[in-house]
Amino acid sequence: MIGLVDGNNFFVSCERVFNRRLVGRPVAVLSNNDGCCISRSNEFKALGIPMGTPYFQLKGREASGELCFCSSNYELYGDMSRRIISILREEAVDVEQYSIDEAFIFPPTTAAADYVAYGRRVRAKILRWVGIPCGIGFAPTKTLAKIANHIGKKRPDGVFLMPDDPTEILSALPVQEVWGVGRRLPLKLRAERILTARQLRDAPDATIRSIGGVTLLRTAMELRGVPCHEERDYDTDPDSISCSRSFGEPATTAEALAESLAAYTAQAAAKLRRHGLLAAGCNIYAQVFASGGGGEFLGRTVVFPAPTDATNEMLRAIREEVNALYIEGTRYRKTGIVFFGLEKPGTPHQTDLFDDTPPAEQSRLYAAVDALNARYGKAKVFSAAQGLGARSWHMKRQKLSARPTTRWDELMTVT
Amino acid sequence: MSPKARVSGSVVAGFPSPAEQYQEPPLDLNELLVKRPAATYFVRVEGDSMVGAGIRDGDLLVVDRSLRPADGDVIIASVDGDFTVKTYRRDKSGLRLEPANPNYPVIRLRAGQELDYFGKVTSCIHRFAGNR
Repeated sequence: MIGLVDGNNFFVSCERVFNRRLVGRPVAVLSNNDGCCISRSNEFKALGIPMGTPYFQLKGREASGELCFCSSNYELYGDMSRRIISILREEAVDVEQYSIDEAFIFPPTTAAADYVAYGRRVRAKILRWVGIPCGIGFAPTKTLAKIANHIGKKRPDGVFLMPDDPTEILSALPVQEVWGVGRRLPLKLRAERILTARQLRDAPDATIRSIGGVTLLRTAMELRGVPCHEERDYDTDPDSISCSRSFGEPATTAEALAESLAAYTAQAAAKLRRHGLLAAGCNIYAQVFASGGGGEFLGRTVVFPAPTDATNEMLRAIREEVNALYIEGTRYRKTGIVFFGLEKPGTPHQTDLFDDTPPAEQSRLYAAVDALNARYGKAKVFSAAQGLGARSWHMKRQKLSARPTTRWDELMTVT
Repeated sequence: MSPKARVSGSVVAGFPSPAEQYQEPPLDLNELLVKRPAATYFVRVEGDSMVGAGIRDGDLLVVDRSLRPADGDVIIASVDGDFTVKTYRRDKSGLRLEPANPNYPVIRLRAGQELDYFGKVTSCIHRFAGNR
């Protein structure tokens, strides 16, 4: 059995933990540079203001006191995310973080008697310890767990266990809402009269293959209850820009840790560029090897000086944090990186030049750049996308709340 | 959540160091003060409403959200949107938050009003002037 845990309106929920005046009010968190709404409270959704609405269109309703806005505080969200993951690690046999606010969990065998009770307990613990309400869905496959999660989120207890025969649920679910189908295929599926998740599940393999290749067939298999999604498959899913791997043998050196994280950063950054996206920051993590599975997660949140898709800028930003993950004498099971704050750049930029460069060449390129910089001084060689001359621009976050879990000088005050 | 440095014995050729078997990790305040990192938050005190309980203006409090409040505990709660540190009292006369300074009023919860509890204060760190 697999569980999918995700934070409800995650960014808004993080803000509310430390700002109780936002509770019960229509609140939205804004994208990088205070562009548009990327996380909305239920009260905000109830007003019918869609995701992605530009902030400038709503400023009047903010001035009148009707709506509240926050800039994206990734330092805070990253820390709250790490807290949730570490609780899940205590409660589950294994955890795969999928994005900053989503993780798959593999429940212990003791949970099998009553998954709903187990889910409620985990949810209550996260709510009390971290203050974030979550939805949890259980099913035999990740694709079905995603669907169960969506149903769970709408229930008062936040938890849903997919019934043994999910036919009724799949019949009511439009096919484009199935994880992995996305926006690319609905036209082709419509041509084959596949409109619901159930119709995709029951279509002949040959038809599915001709529409969406082996990827779509895997999705159909998952709907049939056959697990097909390996952790590595997230790499091809544009909704999650992340990369992680388990080491073949537990890693024990700082070099192995640093090299693996650098490689995943390069891979994930290449994927960002493929999708034409910039990231505001990332969570990097390393899991300690434990013989029975599980193992402590060590994590760090890094916010880039400005949203970027340039590997070398990211590597520079994470270098010190990578070192902080290493503990001498510890064996590591896996490492990974999850980007957050993804957005389309507002202005044209030039990094697409590198889009077709194979990963190996790319890492050689960046290695050469770093070597030159090390020899001739910092940033003598850099990609044109970084801009020529001194960097004076930073992400605009005029409505930024305090960072009470990562900065000593921004602690919450109590009277 | 922060990784702690762990000292392990190094391997050297020749005679083993007589100190080897006595090596231990150094004392770590995190280990003492933070039992559950995922549930622990640090907050700063503003004002003297709890001075009688040894909590002074500018002190740093360690707060554990995982602990449920019991009568007599020092807790953090939100009252009308602002966070406050007070002693939690629950008895026949109902639920109230008591300051430790006669200049401040006791906060009584109205009937049906729920306490917006944040967490229990487990330690107070007071740094002397000149060491901040």
